[in-house]
Amino acid sequence: MSLLASAVDDVSLDRKTLYTVGVYVVMYGLAALFAVPLFRMFVLSVTPSDQLFGMHWIPAGITFQYWIEVFTTRDLIYRWIWNTLVISTITTALVLVVDSMVAFALTRLEWPGQRILFGIVIASFMVPPHVNIIPLFTLITQVGWTNSYWAIILPFTATPLGVFLLVQFFRDIPEELEESARMDGFSTFRIYAQIILPLSLPVITALALFMFVWSWNQYLWPLIVLNNDMAYTLPVGATTLQSVYQDDANRLMAGLAVISLPLFVVFLIFQDKLISSVQMQAGTG
Amino acid sequence: MATRSTTGGVSAVTDRVDRETLHGFLFALPYIAVFSAFLFYPLLKGLYMSFFEWDLLNPAQSEFVGLANYSTLLSDPLFWQALTNTTWFVVLTVPSLLVVSMVIALGINRGIKGKKVLQFFYFVPYVMTVSIVGFLWLQLYASNGVFTVYLGKYVGGVLTSETFALPALSLVTVWWQTGFYFAVLLASRQKVPERLYEAARLDGAGPWRQFWDITLPQMKNAIVFVLIAGTVFQFQVFGQVETMTSGGPSQSTVTLVYYLYQLGFQTFDLGYGAAVGYVILLILVGVSVLNYVIVGRGVDE
Repeated sequence: MSLLASAVDDVSLDRKTLYTVGVYVVMYGLAALFAVPLFRMFVLSVTPSDQLFGMHWIPAGITFQYWIEVFTTRDLIYRWIWNTLVISTITTALVLVVDSMVAFALTRLEWPGQRILFGIVIASFMVPPHVNIIPLFTLITQVGWTNSYWAIILPFTATPLGVFLLVQFFRDIPEELEESARMDGFSTFRIYAQIILPLSLPVITALALFMFVWSWNQYLWPLIVLNNDMAYTLPVGATTLQSVYQDDANRLMAGLAVISLPLFVVFLIFQDKLISSVQMQAGTG
Repeated sequence: MATRSTTGGVSAVTDRVDRETLHGFLFALPYIAVFSAFLFYPLLKGLYMSFFEWDLLNPAQSEFVGLANYSTLLSDPLFWQALTNTTWFVVLTVPSLLVVSMVIALGINRGIKGKKVLQFFYFVPYVMTVSIVGFLWLQLYASNGVFTVYLGKYVGGVLTSETFALPALSLVTVWWQTGFYFAVLLASRQKVPERLYEAARLDGAGPWRQFWDITLPQMKNAIVFVLIAGTVFQFQVFGQVETMTSGGPSQSTVTLVYYLYQLGFQTFDLGYGAAVGYVILLILVGVSVLNYVIVGRGVDE
């Protein structure tokens, strides 16, 4: 009897171990597959040209020459980093200000028209951003903004996502705080700036991080309105590298690695925050 | 405060209401301005343009053609091919994204060792720009690239094959986007109360039963989100096509947004492009409404 019981225990223990081993194999196996492209990017970027033929997981010799070349000879990259940084920073700041203001008006103030406005914001969720590019482009050329920062910053500032996230958060802030502030003679603006905004810091930082990464990575729209390589952002600049180094895999990969570096660093620092900013969006579905 | 107590209720209350209306409007104004100029106005202008043979340099010279652009569209084989390709792309990517990110989310949730490192590798492609992703994979798909070296004997050079080019772009997309959906599903899985599983185990339910009877139903909202958001987003695929295949070979990877881009910025057929844009918009609004009606009903926030 006890023998049987222990045999059963053994079997179930084995099955459990087997199961755990299976989970580890799948998870680490998948992670390895996911890492392959990045690993190849790095390996190729340090592979000497004479070893580019064929496929070696690890090259016989490595060199950092191409990384140094990117930093020392492709001066435009610094310009592109600057452009991208300015555009992403201003876009993020603008989205935060504009979206938090309208979210404040929608949740904390009573005024005619707010229901209609909220309805419009919700409806604009359904308008896919890129179907508008042709009329938007004619608008940008009309006002003469080709190659300017504003051409990239403004068109996608009024995104419904930010408004929606902030509305959900502002709505749950208790009324009493606001009431007592009004008693103390706070103006509407002070209530917005000194009570609602500080209380919403977690959602605001998450939104900021997401917008920054999103704006940094924009591709289709900058590709259309930027046609001067001085005005390029990094994602568009990558196409220049591709055309220059088409047959020079190591130099191309070094270039791509360099221009993806800033966001890798951002990601390393803010990994949890960024992941939670993605998770927040599911609540808006 | 003093005014309110002396002059009495009514006028002070109307004052306050008026002020609140003014403030409400002022706070909403920046959004309304940006929204009107860059979203609403182009939306109307696009509709207007779609009735013209639009002249980019002299818009005033544009010729009104009525619904001609829309009737051209109906008989445009490339439009239908783009629609088919796009649909096929969505069918290839969205279910794969759901399955892969679900497996990863459930695995991470088991408290596996090295969770942070694993999470890093699953999520990091998502913070990369599509152009870098495209050029990187172009190398992997090249004749001495890692993909071709190992799998080329079964599928050949994928990007030059009419059959495999679109699936190859889908694979890139799954690699690039899994992080996003994985994060969403992980959050949802972590919200499922552990006592449900304890109760199920007491009833003798195995892992499989627990998955079907607890995990899936409890994660329904997140799964629906992945399907809807995934469909709408992947339907607008552009960067992978533009950087990797330029729509080839023989139009087999031309997608709708890529076609729109070609019409607007390569052949400068702006009026027709605007019409195509409008049709894409209508399709996507239709998808959203359909989703809302069919799936949305069963989902409670």
